[in-house]
Formats: sequence, C-alpha cells, structure tokens
Amino acid sequence: MSVMLDGKEGMEYMVMGNEAIVRGALEAGLKVASGYPGTPSSEIIERLSDVAKDAGIYVEWSVNEKVAAEVAAAASFAQLRSLASMKQVGVNVASDFLLHLAITGTRGGMVLVTCEDPAAHSSSNEGDSRGYARMMEFPLLEPGDFQEAKDMTKWAFEFSEEIGNLVMVRSVTRLSHASGNVKFGPLPRTEAQAEYRFSGAFLDPVAGPMISTGFGHRIQQEKLKKVREIFEDSPFNTYQGPDEPELLIITCSVGNLYCKEAIKALGIEDRVGLLKMGTTWPLPPNLIKKYLLMTDEILIIEEILPFLEDNVKVLAAEMVQEIGAKKFYGKHAGQIPSFGELSADLVIQSLADLLDLGYETVAQEYTDKASAAAFARAPQRELTFCPGCPHRASFWAIHNALELDGRQGFVCGDIGCYSLAALPTGFSTAKTGHAMGSGAGVASGFAKLRQFGMDQPVLAVCGDSTFFHAAIPALVNAVHHQADFTLIVLDNSGTAMTGFQSHPGLNINAMKDEVPALDIPAICQAMGARVEVRDPFDLEETQKTLNELMEYTEGTKVLVLKQACALSPEKKRVKSYNMQINEENCIGQDCGCNRLCTRIFRCPGLIWDEVKKVARIDEVICAGCGVCADICPAGAIVREEA
Amino acid sequence: MSTGQKELKEGVLNAGLCINCGACVNLCPYFAAYKDRTVTLHVCDLEEGRCYAYCPRTPTDLEFLRRSLFDPDDLTAELGPFKGLYITRAADETVRASAQHGGTVSALMALALEESLIDAAVLAEESERYLPQGIAVEDSSEVKRRGGSKFVTSPTVAAFNAAASSGYDKIGVVATPCQTLALAKMRLKPQPAKDDYIDKLRLVIGLFCGWAFSWRDLSKLLQDKAEEASILGMDIPPSKYECMEVYTTNGTLTIPLDEVLPCVKEGCQYCFDMTAEFSDLSVGSARLPEGWDTAKGWNQVIVRSQAGQELLDLARSKGVLEFRDLPDGNLEKLKTASMNKKRFCVESLIKKSGSPDELLYLDPHDPVFSSLLS
Amino acid sequence: MENGKLSKDPYNLIITGVGGQGNVLASRILGNMMVRQGCHVTIGETFGATQRGGSVMSNLRISEISAWSPQIPKGQADMIVALEPTEAIRLLGKYGHPEIKVLTNTRAIHSVGVIAGELKYPSLNEIKEPLQELTGEVWLVDATEEAMKLGNPILSNTIMLGALAGTGVIPMQRDHFKEVMSETMGQDRLEINLKAYDLGAELIKH
Repeated sequence: MSVMLDGKEGMEYMVMGNEAIVRGALEAGLKVASGYPGTPSSEIIERLSDVAKDAGIYVEWSVNEKVAAEVAAAASFAQLRSLASMKQVGVNVASDFLLHLAITGTRGGMVLVTCEDPAAHSSSNEGDSRGYARMMEFPLLEPGDFQEAKDMTKWAFEFSEEIGNLVMVRSVTRLSHASGNVKFGPLPRTEAQAEYRFSGAFLDPVAGPMISTGFGHRIQQEKLKKVREIFEDSPFNTYQGPDEPELLIITCSVGNLYCKEAIKALGIEDRVGLLKMGTTWPLPPNLIKKYLLMTDEILIIEEILPFLEDNVKVLAAEMVQEIGAKKFYGKHAGQIPSFGELSADLVIQSLADLLDLGYETVAQEYTDKASAAAFARAPQRELTFCPGCPHRASFWAIHNALELDGRQGFVCGDIGCYSLAALPTGFSTAKTGHAMGSGAGVASGFAKLRQFGMDQPVLAVCGDSTFFHAAIPALVNAVHHQADFTLIVLDNSGTAMTGFQSHPGLNINAMKDEVPALDIPAICQAMGARVEVRDPFDLEETQKTLNELMEYTEGTKVLVLKQACALSPEKKRVKSYNMQINEENCIGQDCGCNRLCTRIFRCPGLIWDEVKKVARIDEVICAGCGVCADICPAGAIVREEA
Repeated sequence: MSTGQKELKEGVLNAGLCINCGACVNLCPYFAAYKDRTVTLHVCDLEEGRCYAYCPRTPTDLEFLRRSLFDPDDLTAELGPFKGLYITRAADETVRASAQHGGTVSALMALALEESLIDAAVLAEESERYLPQGIAVEDSSEVKRRGGSKFVTSPTVAAFNAAASSGYDKIGVVATPCQTLALAKMRLKPQPAKDDYIDKLRLVIGLFCGWAFSWRDLSKLLQDKAEEASILGMDIPPSKYECMEVYTTNGTLTIPLDEVLPCVKEGCQYCFDMTAEFSDLSVGSARLPEGWDTAKGWNQVIVRSQAGQELLDLARSKGVLEFRDLPDGNLEKLKTASMNKKRFCVESLIKKSGSPDELLYLDPHDPVFSSLLS
Repeated sequence: MENGKLSKDPYNLIITGVGGQGNVLASRILGNMMVRQGCHVTIGETFGATQRGGSVMSNLRISEISAWSPQIPKGQADMIVALEPTEAIRLLGKYGHPEIKVLTNTRAIHSVGVIAGELKYPSLNEIKEPLQELTGEVWLVDATEEAMKLGNPILSNTIMLGALAGTGVIPMQRDHFKEVMSETMGQDRLEINLKAYDLGAELIKH
C-alpha cells in the first residue's frame, strides 16, 4: 500500500517534495531508478523501491553515485525511462560519467535528480551543483513548489527524449523534505521492451554505439540550442504582478514560495512583479528580455550561489542595446547572502529595505524578553551519537588507544554519523573530515610522510557503506604503497545516517530481494592488508587491538568494528540490557570518578541527578546497549539481560 | 591553589618528572600506566585529586612526613630513618637462584605471607620484554618465583591501589624509592574520606635504586647490542659503577655506562632517594671485601621502622635469612653514595628550574636539602 | 471550532522536540488530518544529521485558501506543540508573540551539555515561568508519563496530538486521526493509539 501507486488521478494528497518527484516519475512511466542515499534525497529511491514490484520497475541502491548514473544511463540507452537520484555532493562523484553522457546523449528519457542542502542541515557542505548543468551543457529544471516537483519531473522524461539528452531536476531540502498538497495525474500502463541498438553509424543518436568523443560536442551544442527554444514557451516559467512593476523579482526553486509570501506580507502586489523561472539553464533569452523590459530595477533571489543571477546578467549585457542598462540587486550587490538558505523573513527584509518599507510583526521588547528566556532556560543541544550507538564505544576505544600510545596519533574522519567524532560525543578524535572515502585516502598520504620525520600514528575511519562507496580505491592505493596506517571500518550494518538503505555488504537489496553480501574483512585481506575484526562493545579488546595495530608498522592495517546501529530495524526499541544505577556505589562527582559516565562518556541515556549527586538512567532514552557498565569505575552501573 | 589532574599534568607529567610509579593509577578512570608511561585518558576537572596528593613528584613537607611515620630519633640526613644496617641472604638456595642478589626481599615477603602478617604481596613482574607490571600475589611461592631486579619502573603502586580495592585486607609492597614515597604520602591520608583503604598497607620493603631505564630506549639499546641472543638478566655492579653487565645466551655482554646513561628515564634524574627511605626495610646489593662475585650473592638491608625490625628478627629466628657481619666502612660508603644521589638531584632540579632557590617539588628549606644548597 | 473553520488563515503551528522523539511522524499525521479537513497544508522540516540529539522542528502552515512557504516567518507562529518543554521556550524568541499558545509535554530530555554538567537544565517552575509570561495560553501535559502507563513512551506523541485536539485551537477530527493512522499500522497498534489520542484530549479537559 503506497499512495505513490494507489493515489488516484485528480485527487490531492499531502506528500513530501521527494514523493512528488517519485509520483511524477511513475506518471512518466519510469522503468529503472538508481541512486546512492544522501539527505535530503534518500526518500526518492526508498519510495520507488517500496512500489518497485507492483509497478514493475527496477530500483537499486548503487554502490555510489557514479555507478548509479551509469546504471540509469544503460536503461536509457536501451530505450527505457530512467532516473538517477543523489544529493549535491553525489553529483560531484557522478560528474566524471555525466560529462561523457552529456556528449553521447540519451535515448529513453533520463532524469538526474539532485536534492541539495542549502544551509547544510545534514551535509558537510552546501555545494550548489547547478554549475554542472552549465559546465556540462545539459538542461536544468528547478521546481518552485510541490505540484511542480511532480509535474516537472514527469515532463522532464518527455523533454529528455525530445532533445536526446539527460535532464537535471534540482530540488532542495525545503522542498524535498517539506510536504504540501499535490494533485496526482494518471499512471500509464505501459509494457517496455529493452533493447540496445549499436549497429548504426558512429554518431547516429538512435542506432549507433554510445561512445563519447570530441565530435559529439557539436551535436550537444545543437541540442542546447533546441532546449533554449523549448524553454521560451515553458509553462514552468511564470509571472505574477503588474505590467510595469517598480521592481522585478526573478527567482527559482523554493525562493518562489518565500517571494510569494513576502509580497503578500508586505502588501506590495501592485508594486513588484515576480518572475519564477523553472528552466534555469540554459535561460530562454527572449523570455528574459520580455520581463527585463518591464522595469529598470531587478532583484534576483535564489539560494547559495548567484547562478540564476549571473546567467540573467550575461543575457542583460548581451541585450543592453535593446533593453537599456538595468540596476541589479541580489547576491553581488549584497541584498541576498551567497550562503545559507532563504526564508520568507530574509526576502521580506530585503524587499522592505529596497522599497523603504517598515516591517515589524512583534514588538522588540517581546522578542528581547523571549530570546533572553531561551538563552537562560533552553540549554543548547549539541549533536551527539544516539543512545546505544556503537560509534560511541568505538571512539571511546580509539580515543583511549591514542592516548595510551602517546605519539599524537589522530583520526582522519569521513562522511556519516561518525563525522560527529570531531565533537565531544566522539571524544574529539577526528582531525580531518572531507568527502566520502577521503579519510582512508588522506591517511594513506599522511602515512607516506614517515621519511619527512612524521612519526604520529595515523588512523582513518569509514562506515560500511562508505567503504564500498569510495574507500576501496584509497585502501588499494594504501596497501600497494605500503602506507602505514590503520583503517577502521565502523560496520554498523547499513547506511545508518540516511535511514538504513542497503549496500553491497548486506544480503538484501533495495527491492528486498536476497542478494550476495560482500565480506569486508575478506576484501581487505585479499588486498593484502592485515585485518582484524572486533566488537566495539568490547571496549578493552578493541583498544588493545588498536594499540597493537598502531605498533605494527609494516604496511596497511584494517580493523573492522562490527556492531549494528541502535536504530537498525533489528535493534530499534529492543534493549539488550536493562540498565540500573546502584546509587550506593556511585562515586558521582568525587575523586575516583568525577562523573565519567555523564561528563565524559556523555550517552544521552545517562543523566545526572543534581540533588542526589548520582548518575541515573533515563529509561525512556536508554537503548540498553550495556556499554556504560564497562566504563563505570565503581561497578555502580549494573546491566541485567533484558 | 588547585591540586588536581591539571596541575599534576603540568607540574609532573609534562615537566618530565614522572617516573611511572603508578600512584595515580587505579584510583580513578582518568590515569593509566602504559608501556612505561603514565597517561591521562580524559580530562578531570576536580580541583583536588588523590593523583596529585599521592604523587612522589608533587611538593610535600618531607620532614613532616618523616617525623609522622618514623621515630624522629632514627632520622639521618643521609639515609633517612635508620635503625641498623645488615648483610643478609635468603637461606633457601632456590630463592637465591631466581633473585638478583641474595634473595632477601623474596624471603622476607614470602615469610610475611606465610606468617599471615599480610594476605597479599604486591610486587613487579615482567609482562613483556623488560616491561614490568605490578601484580598482587597471595602465595609465598609466587613471591619467590618473581625475584630479580627490574630495570624499568613497574607501576607497582597502581597494583597496590587495585589490590586494596579488591578485597585484600593486609598488603605488603615491594617498592622502589619513588614508590615508597608515594605510599608514605598516602599514609598521611590527605583526602580522609577517600583514603581508608591505605590502612590495608602493612609492610613496605624498599629497593635501593640508582635510577631506572626508559623502556623504549632500553629495548632499543639491547636490541642493538644483543641482536639475536636472548637476555637472561642484567646488572650494574655497584663496586664497578662503570658498566652494565648483560647476561645472554651467548655469554656476558659489557656495555659501557656512558652508552647506558642516555637511556635513563628523565624522571629519575630528579630523584633524591637511593635507599628507599620511606619503607619499613630497604634492601640493595651488598659490598663485600671478597669482591663483586661474592657480594652479588648477598644483600644490604637497612631497617627503618619497628615493623621492619620485627620482620627481620623473625626471619633470623625462623632461619629464613642468613646474616654475616657488616664490613667496616660499608655504612659510610652507603651514606656517601646516597648523598651523591641527593646532590645530583638538587643540581638537576636547579638546572631545570633555572634558579638555585627553586627545587620544583622539593623544599629548599628541608633540612636534608638546605645543607646541599649552601 | 465547531464549524471546522480555522481561527486564522494560514494557521501556523510548530511541532518541536528533540531528534528521535518522532517529530516528523507527528507532523505528518497532523498534516494529513488537516488535508482531510480540506485544507492546504505545507510542512517544512529538516531531518538527517539534526536528528542526532539536536533540536528539531516542523513548521505546519494550514490554510483553507492556498499553500504557504515551508518556513513560518518571524513572530508568526500561532501555536507551538512541544514534545520537550525547553524546546517550546527556545522557539519563542523567533516565532513567538504575546498571543501565541503553547502545548507542551513536561518530560525533560537532557542535552549532552546538561548531562556533561556544562549547561543547566531548568526546573519545571523555571520552565513554566517564561511560558506563562510570554504566551497567551499554555497547557502542560505529562504525556511521557501517561504514555509509559499505557506501556510505551513513544505513545506520548499521540497523547500530544490528542491533547492538541483537546485544546480546540484547530479543527481536528478523531475520525480523521483514525483514518490516517489506519493507513500505516495494524489494528492492535491502532487501538492503543486511539486510546492515547483520547487520553490526551481528556488530559486537557481536566
């Protein structure tokens, strides 16, 4: 049962932006979908995999985004409609293939969905991947509301087939992870036959081989010209406002929703015009000209980089003879920041400033008082590993091993929940943090600095999903070059951060079929690394092994720390132990303990009783992993099999 | 002034004064002894800690300590509390065979266990190559098996801390001079509410000690010198204090002292005590007119306390120890050697502090050190 | 509220809590109930890394006329439903105004800063004081304790939804709750959730 398939034509449903995209793809007759999980994109493949069997489609969580794009492209080559979905950083991974794909073009409609994260709510950067569309010369669509997310996705497949190239649909957190009403269209009943034709002439777009060459660029340029023409009449570019506005706002994506709200809030419907662009690359020149002619003052509102702004300005410069000089406001002029996300407030404020309007909804006195109350009575919530998280135990052992070793060793961090190892929750052990798999790669580099006098032990961490995604090549490099470091694979049996998507280490795939699981220790062993496997909940054994591995200087070592995530389906709401505090034994804040469990170990399942001066278990929060019993110096934390 | 982990870390660990005696270990989860180093695992922010209070390298009123724990009439500047000096060896040959010298320490500890003066003996044993660790044993045969000098400090006080909290009631400790000072500081119970377990300390047998090695440096030196041969033991004969003898499967190897001294632990430079002054009895190698070959089968014993005297007397009456007459001049030579170490310590501390009035953890007004300063 | 009309359009409601409390699910249930009421509902929320012990918030914009943006503007929330009491206080500076209403669970979740002793968690009185001073109306419910009595603390979210219905600030229908829930769960879990919903409504009346 899923509204994605069962939702009826003509009915309105409240769905997430990502679900709107899914429904759009299903309405377009999608046959193959692939992706790699990443917030805020993950629900696209998840929802598609939920309905895959019923809808007769193939869905997979690919090992990484480049492979996802390749898998989707193959379907397109065989004349099926396909979709690859990823978050902004995934587009970087896929980009090598995408550049070549843009040259060969596609056959069955192929849509690349990128869900980006302005303000980096759940990312290590807020990269704006729209630049790829311009750089690689394929069209870019940006839905401006939930309905459009569905409609635009559906149309993107037809459009892709019309131009013979892939189409990028870009969403953002406030669309992907927000929900709104969407009116559903019909679902097609189509049978598809996959066939890859290759016996035609070399550059024959329908029957030739799909091989990227320099010659293809000319054809790609012609496609782009056609795209511009199609975009001139696109219903996804809309205008609202007077014929001769004082100020023209050009916006895209969720900026549309904020602009509409801001105009209403300020009551300036008669003074400003709102041009919402859905086709943001390449821009249709005539359409832009038409609106630029309406006024001399233009404010461009979009998130992160001035992508739309720069492209509009290029057109305005080209057309200056016809339209005259314009005054532009936006990121370059300083009204809209080039970082972080937009909000109705931000747009209201910039419009109020530009039009010299007063705007205050709440008396400053109230706001000051309420802010002071929040400061005094609402303690900050720093991010933390969940109760029962194996990473807390892993990093406890890692921290202690590094301290015992005493040679200023450090951890090269990576992407996943365990990125938090840079914070006190991970005992501040991670000292580098970049892209997927970069921990292993950077560590491999550090380890080759021995000849320059670097004698610090080097550790790298990666999750199980990250291991397959990008750490394998780095490990291959390290073993081959005899890089002396230890890669710690934090194997928690799933892509945990994004909600337990499957990966090649598991014996189940996105469609819940049984599939062969790849064995991480065996892979590492086959590469020639020294491999150890431990349970991170065995703190002492894990620490001892790490110290031993740090002392062992011949080549690359791998320690697989295997323990399922506390939120994994098999563990969620299942306590291994019932934990209790023996208050008599608890040393509390005295010499001999000084609140090790609450002050240093910092598991949210433990709280400090200010009155009794003892630790307590919060039975609502505690996940019952039992690890804290092993760190208590007084044996006051007692575990009992649940 | 705060006297907690932070101050200990700044004033002792980071300052190079720590000798890994183990006094701060096993009191709390914040310290660990690992491969000849004392390590802080996490930050403790208490303003007062037993770690600081027990450490033999934090400032102490030593004169008050001496007067509190020993008979003030027995106090000497050179050797600390002194009731008498004896030449002894274990009567049991098998004990002597596994001992460094005369086996006196093993014999006395074994006797204390057998007579139920103590129910556990805390001593050092080698865990991995040259790296000792502290251990608590209940059986006298276990004591006898573990004789022989260790050339790297064992965190023995850590083992005492662990033993005292694990159910033993009467504990004897074999301790180096730094460790006897730590145990003596504990006996003053600086944190009364937390120090009750110290009452379980019933006997301290101190070991004479010139200095100990850094484990990493010693391992490297021996690896370079002895190569493939396995090492059976080593010694630095006091009568020929110019080389280290290493007994290997390929015979005795002699390493000149100037090659050995760079391996000495930094913290040992700042030690004023050669004869383990804060013990009940202290035991070291003997000097005999017959020369080193004979002397290395015997010990010198300083008796310091009533308890020490009683144990030695018991050993004599039970025939556990053999005694021979103290050669003339031995006491003077011992005093000179002891004062030399104190002098070297004071010089090293002045060099470190950069000021002749500043002895870091030692009090320049202490009667023992003030004379060396003038 | 008997005629099922919104007291204000759009009605801006925030559900706030701590990552892992079930904020997202609660907001979706409420949103779906309001869609059944014939409303346009926009929900704005973030999830992912923020769920790891951080403060989380869902913005619901409920309108009988049109769709609104997924973020409530400054000072324009009409109601805050807090699954954790300090989270209600945290939001008043940005979203509050003297007439705002607050419904909060009383059960504390200590942040790691509090657990570690670096920050102080306020007493219940210290929580009540600013809530009473800075809002038009406030309801406190021991939802977690009541949920534990029903056998599972996770039911506290349903109790809070029931309590929200009990306050009558927006037109919520029990039948819609039942419909929405029955789409996602089996009969046994539905029954205990209905019980929790009714209990929540009762707690407000008494």
